[in-house]
Amino acid sequence: MINNVLSNLFSKPATRDFPAKMREIAENVRGSVEFNTENCVYCGACALKCPANAIEVDRPAKKVTFDLYKCVACACCAEACRKGCIQMAKQYAHPSYRKMDVVFQGEPLLTDANGDS
Amino acid sequence: MSNRTVIPFGPQHPVLPEPIQLKLELQDETVVSAIPHIGYVHRGIEKAAERMEYTQNVFLVERVCGICSFIHALCYCQAIEQLQNIEASPRAKYLRVIWSELHRLHSHHLWLGLFADAFGYESLFMQFWRNREMLMDIFDKTAGSRVIISTCAIGGTRRDISDVHLQEILDTLDEVEKQLDKTLPVILNDYTVKKRTVGIGKITREQALELGAAGPVLRANGVAQDMRQLGYAAYGELGFEPVTENDGDCYARAKVRARECYQSVELVRKAIRQLPDGEILTKPKGRPKGQVISRVEQPRGELLYFLSADGTNRLDRLRIRTPTFANVPPLVAMLPGCELADVPVIVLSIDPCISCTER
Ligand code: SF4
Ligand code: SF4
Repeated sequence: MINNVLSNLFSKPATRDFPAKMREIAENVRGSVEFNTENCVYCGACALKCPANAIEVDRPAKKVTFDLYKCVACACCAEACRKGCIQMAKQYAHPSYRKMDVVFQGEPLLTDANGDS
Repeated sequence: MSNRTVIPFGPQHPVLPEPIQLKLELQDETVVSAIPHIGYVHRGIEKAAERMEYTQNVFLVERVCGICSFIHALCYCQAIEQLQNIEASPRAKYLRVIWSELHRLHSHHLWLGLFADAFGYESLFMQFWRNREMLMDIFDKTAGSRVIISTCAIGGTRRDISDVHLQEILDTLDEVEKQLDKTLPVILNDYTVKKRTVGIGKITREQALELGAAGPVLRANGVAQDMRQLGYAAYGELGFEPVTENDGDCYARAKVRARECYQSVELVRKAIRQLPDGEILTKPKGRPKGQVISRVEQPRGELLYFLSADGTNRLDRLRIRTPTFANVPPLVAMLPGCELADVPVIVLSIDPCISCTER
């Protein structure tokens, strides 16, 4: 009994001082999906493999739409993409107020006539 | 006869976070009968599985149960592998055992904590859950996710475990075992805990068999039945013996799970020692065709998948029977005769996973 009391008095707390001290994120964690559409050829392989239907690829419009809130962070898309456009980021997806916020839209490969991307 | 009352236990109840309702018919403080009502969290996973491709279903079935996600995926993958006539590589089989047993270990920790909480032992609850955290960190490091680890794939596993991580697992297990040595005796020897569990919620061996109990509920009645005896994955090579107890009460069920914790630690150690080198994924060929039943042992008991496929890339039918579903009839048999205050302890003693049951 007295041992327990003493060890509890002088030991560190079991919890972390969040948010001052964050939990370390593991090396190859499947945190969240990160698109890098520069090399994207809009083949649609990622959308085909995604079990959550979180990715939509519109080939003619050269558009990749990603719904973060459908994504289950399984990394199937990252494995499927041959162009290496998709990486699993070492950070978890941030919360958001609105579901609309999170639709990621890839940039078209070519700029249009006005030079807008 | 006249002064019987019906008290609803659940679907919202402080000790049981999951929605099952038991209508308890009471004579004074004693339960006379119990009628279970389930169906509050039906999610239609079986139907959804018919709409998705069979390869994508691995990620769907993992979500049947967050606590033993890997084991669900394993059961499903083994079924598809049987239909496609492929076999996972030896290394994948051992990796599957490692992740399965780690899941069992963390599930039993979770249960032991909740069980302690059910009779108001909150500090013990926290001790167990602190231990469990070390196991969750292993998943984070080896699989990239804490809960739904998504490492099982048709034909093997998606990730390998590096030697560094294997050593880390071994170190963590040493620590977990050390902590278990400290905390488990409280559950098993404490006077108050024994008062609340010994002889409570007792069923006989015959009842357990007749009512189709599964897992620790069955093994607490002295029936050495465990699906790991089938030798799936690498269990056949690890010399596995089921843990049994004979009393059939809440205490015996706690004891079975407590001893299974040590058994899982040993199994993981053995699997790591014997882990062969080689590929982790066998490429599946063709599409599944035919019907198959696959059974594995979950922390809560026998898990059964029935699959019917017709050679397209979608399944005809997926049927999942979870162990809690099998354990509800024994639960209803345990309750009559007990005090109202013992109901939470008895309900928890079957380790209910209701959302798993309702899929
Ligand atoms: S992200 Fe990769 S897989 Fe997806 S459309 Fe682009 S190139 Fe294809
Ligand atoms: S991580 Fe998985 S769920 Fe998320 S977009 Fe990629 S394939 Fe879809």
